Amino acid sequence: MHRSLLRSPSAGLVIVLLALGSILTLVAGSHVDPVSGATVNNFLNAHTLIQMATDASTFAIMGVGATLVIISGGIDLSVGAVYALAGVVMAMVLRGLGPMDAVSTVSIGLATCLMVAFFCGLANGVMVVGLGVHPFIITLGTMWILRGVAFVISHAESILVPAALTNVAKASLGLGGSLSPVPLLAMLAVAGLGTLYLTRTVMGRHVFAVGGNAEASRFSGLRVNRIRLGVFLWSGLTAGVAAFIGAGFYGSATSSDGTGYELYVIASAVVGGASLTGGKGSALSAMLGALLIVLIRQAIRTLHLDQNYEWIIIGTAMIFAVVLDQSGSKLLAKRLMNRTVSS
Amino acid sequence: MTVPAVSFHGVTKRFPGVVALDDVTFDVARGSCHAVCGENGAGKSTLGKVLAGIQEPDGGELLLDGRQVRFTSPRDALASGVAMVHQELAFCENLSVAENLCLGQLPSRRGFVAWTELQVRATQLLDTIGATIDPTRRVGTLSIAEQQLVQIAAAVGGGARVIIFDEPTSSLGQNDAERLFSLIGQLKAGGVTVIYVSHRMAEIFRLCDSATVLRDGRHVSTDPIAALDEGSLVQRMIGRRLEQYFPTHARAALGDEVLRVDCLTSPGRFTDISFTLRAGEVLGFAGLVGAGRSELAQALFGLDPHVTGDIYVRGRREPIRSPRAAMALGLGLVPEDRKRQGLILSMLARENTTLPILERLARLTFVRRGLERDLARTQTSRVKVRSDVLENATTSLSGGNQQKLVLAKWLAARSDILMLDEPTRGVDVGAKAELHTWIDQMAAEGAAVLLISSELPELLNLSRRILVLRGGRVVGEVPREHADQDTVLRMMAGLDAAA
Repeated sequence: MHRSLLRSPSAGLVIVLLALGSILTLVAGSHVDPVSGATVNNFLNAHTLIQMATDASTFAIMGVGATLVIISGGIDLSVGAVYALAGVVMAMVLRGLGPMDAVSTVSIGLATCLMVAFFCGLANGVMVVGLGVHPFIITLGTMWILRGVAFVISHAESILVPAALTNVAKASLGLGGSLSPVPLLAMLAVAGLGTLYLTRTVMGRHVFAVGGNAEASRFSGLRVNRIRLGVFLWSGLTAGVAAFIGAGFYGSATSSDGTGYELYVIASAVVGGASLTGGKGSALSAMLGALLIVLIRQAIRTLHLDQNYEWIIIGTAMIFAVVLDQSGSKLLAKRLMNRTVSS
Repeated sequence: MTVPAVSFHGVTKRFPGVVALDDVTFDVARGSCHAVCGENGAGKSTLGKVLAGIQEPDGGELLLDGRQVRFTSPRDALASGVAMVHQELAFCENLSVAENLCLGQLPSRRGFVAWTELQVRATQLLDTIGATIDPTRRVGTLSIAEQQLVQIAAAVGGGARVIIFDEPTSSLGQNDAERLFSLIGQLKAGGVTVIYVSHRMAEIFRLCDSATVLRDGRHVSTDPIAALDEGSLVQRMIGRRLEQYFPTHARAALGDEVLRVDCLTSPGRFTDISFTLRAGEVLGFAGLVGAGRSELAQALFGLDPHVTGDIYVRGRREPIRSPRAAMALGLGLVPEDRKRQGLILSMLARENTTLPILERLARLTFVRRGLERDLARTQTSRVKVRSDVLENATTSLSGGNQQKLVLAKWLAARSDILMLDEPTRGVDVGAKAELHTWIDQMAAEGAAVLLISSELPELLNLSRRILVLRGGRVVGEVPREHADQDTVLRMMAGLDAAA
């Protein structure tokens, strides 16, 4: 049991996260809180940690969807645009409906977000399967189209969302005034559901099968097209969830929201061990991948490094993480091969 | 004594789960045509690829004209004068003949391709082997025979003194094959050493001066062709006497007709195929590569959208449009290419076993893991796979065990019409015997088995009847009592029975 836990792909990431976190705690120094008078570590404090989780949550939630797509052998570049469109449409719908009670506002808002995201995913999936064009091309196209739609319908204005949404997204849930753990909890929930889906359900297993070998899946009677379409629905839906929380948290939605997120999202999935050739990946690891990226960003701030180096460091770290992961699996394959030959 | 053109010295090549070449040692005389033959999976193609620098050997050494060489790429090999004409033709199909011919060293001026020079050089290359192909045509538009000529031209033009042909006639018609044979004759006359990988008796005896037999990756014999006849060569390839090779069969009485195929046609694949299959029967399908056997099995499994004709399962006409529909009717297909079509190598052995029926093992879409494990364990034990490998990666399993997993998959799906396409290809001797026993036993238990195999002894011993396919048509049906290797081979190849 312990051995299988250690060998799981998430274990390495957890170790890296803890190591980096410990180093930061040691070198960050501390300050004295002006209100309580207690000494507070500059890194290891509730505020910084939750802030990091909030930053990571957007990438992590969409990263789970992206992981599904990547495991199936595809890619989804449109999630950033779906994020923007879902947020903008929701904000416009709520503005159009006028003031309502909190429960209606939240439920209509969430439903709108998810619906928009669902149809965006459907459009991606239908085109990938129906036109037989590589998902990179299709979603590159929809990335621009969907963001363009968001621009056109919102006239590129920032639209405020009702306070009810912000109250939900920023709810402190008894942690005290300035702490808002809702994005963190949403992230954990999505990662948990994603893990359950991938490891325990029939559909999850089918996603791995299609990504591992589409032809053999067809020969085993799997409905390959339906499975390929399905993952884009999930990817869209996770962007909808992220958009709902994001718009609520920041109090407004704009057509330029989430620009460039697709790359962070894919990076999270890939740092989490998802293979772009398909058949391999984990929802939990995608979340850990997002946390690692955010932690590296935080490290730059905590250590007072020049912020201009942020992208260089993140890029280097991503390549490094993936190479490390790959050489690890090559080593494993070699060991397995030697074992079969000697037996 | 002259120095041999090529010497293999203890050459060994391992792949995950299988030893493809095991300590192979023999010499090839200069200017000769040397056959390398053996059953499927004997290691013939691997041997060619090792010599051509496509695969690096794990052990042993290669000598060219007595000097030790070590190739790490086809480019290395070509530089030393070794080239290979491939079974699956390897070209950039989007480029012209001329570009493909000169791909390694495109003539250029200041970094730009010199087109006129390219055409001239390509035409010269094609002329050396007397091929009349327009060098500006895209390779994708050439026929297989023409593509082969381009490969040979590239080999000869690249200065190759040793050319390896890997099953060169497998996709050629009679006329094209004849032209190839005379070209090989010319090459030999020009001092080129030809290594001819094939299992076709007629060609070997016609073209070659000597023959090496490989079996299960090991060198069996190397003899001048004059010292051999077809019988002894086949004997060496198979390795045992036929009687010892196969289990005695528990032959049950035949049951009802479970499958009837009426005038099944798929354009370009097979034409007008009709047959019946009864419960408890093993029906063999003989034929050369490209005769349409695998295509037929795939069509019956709902994988060919262009098929016309009628399929009756247990007396009812069934349009089988997808593998799901086929599975629902009790059909199971063990495909020809285990790694590409049979298994998902990135998944665990257990997951492969239960893949087609996962929905049946689930409650509210959640897989019931205890149920899945039990099922995988029971079904794999029926094909003698140890249950402790079920949680291992499928890639770590031997070829034999991988093949058994594919069988277990259809056992788990309770298929009772089993289509087995080359079920023993690339598995070791022990596993092969087990698979044979298993096929026999399945039939005895009432399953209907459609067996496709390129190993005639296997077909002859397991089948009750053998249908022979050639060029997509049934050219004969031989009951087991009258079936012998020679008769079936001649029908497969389209040779006159008296010849």
